[in-house]
Amino acid sequence: MSKSYKEYTITSDGQLMLKKADSDQIETVWERYENQLPQCGYCEMGLSCRICNMGPCRIDPFGEGPQKGVCGADADIIVARNLGRMIAAGAAAHSDHGRDLVEVLADVAKGKAPGYSISDPVKLKKIAGEYEIETDGREIPAIAGDLAYAMMEDYGTRKKELTLVKRAPEKRREIWRKAGIMPRGIDRETSEMMHRTHMGVDNGWQSLLLHGMRNALSDGWGGSLIASEVSDILFGTPLPCANQVNIGVLKTDQVNIIVHGHNPVVSEMIFLACQDTDLINLAKLKGAKGINLAGLCCTGNELMARHGIPMAGNHLMTELVIATGAVEMMLVDYQCIMPSLGKTASCYHTKMISTSDKARFPGMEHREFHPENSQKMAQELVKEAVEQYENRGKVYIPVEPVQSLGGFSVEAVTGALGGTPEPLIEAIKAGKIRGAAGIVGCNNPKIKHDYGHVTLAQQLIKNDILVVVTGCAAIATAKAGLNAAEAIKYAGPGLKEICGALKIPPVLHMGSCVDNVRILILASALANALGTDISDLPIAGSAPEWYSEKAVAIATYFVASGVYTVLGPMPPITGSMNVIKLLTQGLDDITGASFAVEPDPEKAAILICRHIENKRKALGLDSRAL
Amino acid sequence: MKQVVVHPEYCLGCMQCMTACAIAHSQTHSLFYAVLEDPVPKSRIHVGAGLFGEGFPNRCRHCDPAPCMTACLSGAISRIPETNTVYIDPDKCINCASCSMVCPFGVIRYHKDISAISGKITAVKCDNCHERQIQGQIPACVEACKSNALTFEEPSEAMKRKTNKTACTMSSETMKIPAASGFDLLNAVKKVQAEIKTC
Ligand code: SF4
Ligand code: SF4
Ligand code: SF4
Ligand code: SF4
Repeated sequence: MSKSYKEYTITSDGQLMLKKADSDQIETVWERYENQLPQCGYCEMGLSCRICNMGPCRIDPFGEGPQKGVCGADADIIVARNLGRMIAAGAAAHSDHGRDLVEVLADVAKGKAPGYSISDPVKLKKIAGEYEIETDGREIPAIAGDLAYAMMEDYGTRKKELTLVKRAPEKRREIWRKAGIMPRGIDRETSEMMHRTHMGVDNGWQSLLLHGMRNALSDGWGGSLIASEVSDILFGTPLPCANQVNIGVLKTDQVNIIVHGHNPVVSEMIFLACQDTDLINLAKLKGAKGINLAGLCCTGNELMARHGIPMAGNHLMTELVIATGAVEMMLVDYQCIMPSLGKTASCYHTKMISTSDKARFPGMEHREFHPENSQKMAQELVKEAVEQYENRGKVYIPVEPVQSLGGFSVEAVTGALGGTPEPLIEAIKAGKIRGAAGIVGCNNPKIKHDYGHVTLAQQLIKNDILVVVTGCAAIATAKAGLNAAEAIKYAGPGLKEICGALKIPPVLHMGSCVDNVRILILASALANALGTDISDLPIAGSAPEWYSEKAVAIATYFVASGVYTVLGPMPPITGSMNVIKLLTQGLDDITGASFAVEPDPEKAAILICRHIENKRKALGLDSRAL
Repeated sequence: MKQVVVHPEYCLGCMQCMTACAIAHSQTHSLFYAVLEDPVPKSRIHVGAGLFGEGFPNRCRHCDPAPCMTACLSGAISRIPETNTVYIDPDKCINCASCSMVCPFGVIRYHKDISAISGKITAVKCDNCHERQIQGQIPACVEACKSNALTFEEPSEAMKRKTNKTACTMSSETMKIPAASGFDLLNAVKKVQAEIKTC
């Protein structure tokens, strides 16, 4: 790769590590992206269909070649079906992750998960209450068992409405009922999407897209919400805590262990094993000063939010972290783990371990974690990592870490506000804070790494918009120094005043990708406090560098919940102007919100500011001209 | 005489032409078995990526006069008049790379090919699907391209269409019809993505 590394990433650790990777002849995601160019235009436009074996088919967007698949499906149907399947895959990924947590909860209740416990019994009881489970005078394990069972029922087909949709404002639920998109069962909606998109079933592109909304809602108000809440019950509800970010969190004189993936079920056990005095003593015996655990991507976000564990990087940094030569062991669970990592690690002493029964990777050793063996397995693996320290070659850790603050759960945000959302509402009413925006999602080599997230966040806080972040976006802004209290110096005067008084950063780290639901819950709390609907609030969402199917599900449940959402990269839908029109305009009439696409974050910021000012005006608040 | 005409503005970068070309120049003529052949058949058309990752099908222009033919010292390159094909005879090719040095389009590759005696590396490029044409078939790449970025027609026909299209762009604003609005939109997004890389 001879190009200027500045075109790939804005981060200095990224640029320096790319140079190192180059001299070590490590292939990176950017290189593979360039090797893929040009990418297939039919697929980019959503115009290729592989659903059945009369195909594959493709539609000529210029109108002269074939306009129908073998079955007769036209561009609108094919684009809508493809998008529907992306939503289904994304919802399935989050929701299955949620199910794994519910299974741990059930095992904890039965006493069959040594090492795991109920860390937040208050939250357990609160949520059990929402599920109408008797809590008075009952033992914690009994409540946990009943809650796990009741949550499993949310996955099935026995309900008309998911339990936790009750948290959404009544007006919002009415909109869902009226549009016929109220989610009924988490697995049911995904399963129904796969049915509808089978050849010869739902060939109404509008009804397909509506079901796509329902499928996404089953994630946002179902699978992801359960994942987030059960994680809090098991591992503790996040509270603001200081931490460090970027590749500089790796230590030259310590055993470095990295956890990568999404599910805290594995990383929490590794976290505990890393505190074991015997293992720390062993590390010292091997000449290391200690054991340094750091995270990547969302499982890193989970540990960061709950324990202040440092974060080495986000999605596009995962190969480069290995290229430091400083990582003794990387443990992965599932989602967003590039299958290239095993190959990268083979050039260094890094041991790669896959841990989930449903995720295998080339060049990794498979050591399966189950609730009953996790504690023991974590001890064994951390020991092996410590033993690996002796095999370390030359290391290159080119930067110093950046300070950041993480762990703003809804409880923590309201806590910082003094117990109620009232002060935030007052600040919005007074116009000091214009509104709030969520910046979420992944990295994608199509957008300069971190440029989308960081530029958008900078522009928004400059315009007095409070920013909340999750996932890889949250790591990007953390690395740029925006998740620290000192970052108020980049904020507009109103936001600076409020955040300064509350001693919070202008960009709040709310957790991992499943934790996007925390943003929905916060928005619902604001809407409920104002007696209005989410779509009336001066808020917006954005995924400036998204790549994954999960991001499609997230963006869709945001819009279906009434949040205007701006995407960076274009989803594969340009093959149908009808679909584009419905998603960018038509949905306004159904859910009170719509999508926009704008890869340039400076322009995306303008779109969001304009939207927020318009919503302020509609609420009768002062509104700035842009 | 009908020729392959390239219309890059319609190229979707799907590379189906490449697959079809390779299969047309395989022993088995089957997608499933061709990949198992030795040598593995290779395409003679190469889809490149433009400034923002858009596709461009690059194939031999069968120039006249052809620089490659002039440069070839061993007399391996000649023209087949029936199909107006600049043809490389693999038996005469001495693998000296003179032709590829002078080819302005970089379409000549060097590798093993079933047309050459076993194991010999030879200069390979588009042969206009000469054999298919003799059998009354159109070139494989054209057959594969569903967006009409490649057409097989009288060049004068293609030029006439292009002239009319250009004339339309001179018509008043209200008359302009985009080739495909979705494709324009996709390219607009890809252009911005490329631009912000240099920010
Ligand atoms: S479902 Fe229709 S469009 Fe899709 S592959 Fe089958 S025949 Fe082709
Ligand atoms: S088949 Fe046509 S559209 Fe596809 S890459 Fe080749 S020339 Fe371009
Ligand atoms: S190989 Fe190159 S120089 Fe020769 S005819 Fe083809 S395009 Fe022209
Ligand atoms: S005309 Fe035939 S040989 Fe030439 S590029 Fe097309 S398929 Fe290949």
